[in-house]
Amino acid sequence: MSKEVQRKKPKSKSGLILLFVVGCLYLLTFYFNAKAGKEALLIAFETVKMIAPILLVVFFLMALLNTFIDSKSISRHIGKQSGVRGWMIALVGGILSHGPGYIWYPMLADLRDQGAGDGLVVAFFYTRSIKLPWLPLMISYFGLAFTVVLTLLVILSAWIQGLIVNRINT
Amino acid sequence: MRLKTALGNTFKTLMMVMPMLLSVIGLMGLFETLVTPEMIHSVFKGSILSDTLIGTGVGAISVGQPFLSYAIGGELLDDGVSLYAVTAFILSFVTLGLIQLPLEWSLFGTRFTVLRNMLSFIFALLISIATVFILGLIQ
Repeated sequence: MSKEVQRKKPKSKSGLILLFVVGCLYLLTFYFNAKAGKEALLIAFETVKMIAPILLVVFFLMALLNTFIDSKSISRHIGKQSGVRGWMIALVGGILSHGPGYIWYPMLADLRDQGAGDGLVVAFFYTRSIKLPWLPLMISYFGLAFTVVLTLLVILSAWIQGLIVNRINT
Repeated sequence: MRLKTALGNTFKTLMMVMPMLLSVIGLMGLFETLVTPEMIHSVFKGSILSDTLIGTGVGAISVGQPFLSYAIGGELLDDGVSLYAVTAFILSFVTLGLIQLPLEWSLFGTRFTVLRNMLSFIFALLISIATVFILGLIQ
């Protein structure tokens, strides 16, 4: 049994425990306020419906990555020593990735286990805050100048945070 | 054959992550229902420094689509809350996630999760200050 499997096995129980706790919270909500409980459950179902197609894409991507790209290639392209290309992949990948961030967690964790650098993962996480489809709405609320300045600062900060994480890790 | 094995392994990963993922989604439903925009409005006090910290904290515990943070942020600006606080709020809304922490922790470990979230918190404050400063220079 690999170290990774040994590390993940006990933690998979934490998911079941949390699911049980959340189930109890729903029961309590239904008991005290059935309307709020129904509404919360409906929002949760809508979220599942929304993320299901993206989740499928992410897991097919994971399978394809595991089939056609080995750990050495991952280390070379997005490892600690991947250079400018690695930063570009992380920053642009974060901006282009679609849907809620937590859907991408399993794939990012998988890539990290196979040699992707922590700094690049952190940078990817941060540029995910740039939501391309929502930029026009941000402009309408806060103006073009605000949106451009904030977007550029987020990209710069993502890179700086990645550098900080790499420095701390070394 | 390799693809079949990889699909099998990926499916196992999906099944392993599923309880945590469903928990996070369930918590989101509860938070979106029980924490209303009115409650978010009520916590801002009028001081730039404390409002910016509050904005970052409230953004971190809020959940929903990004447009929700723009709408709330826009209303907060109309109510006289500073642009520092609103920027910190809309930024931490998408970069910090208290609800997603258990999932992040289970997949990435304690050290990575703490470090990433601490950096996101600090940078939400720094970016909000830098954004308002740069806008002041160019406008």
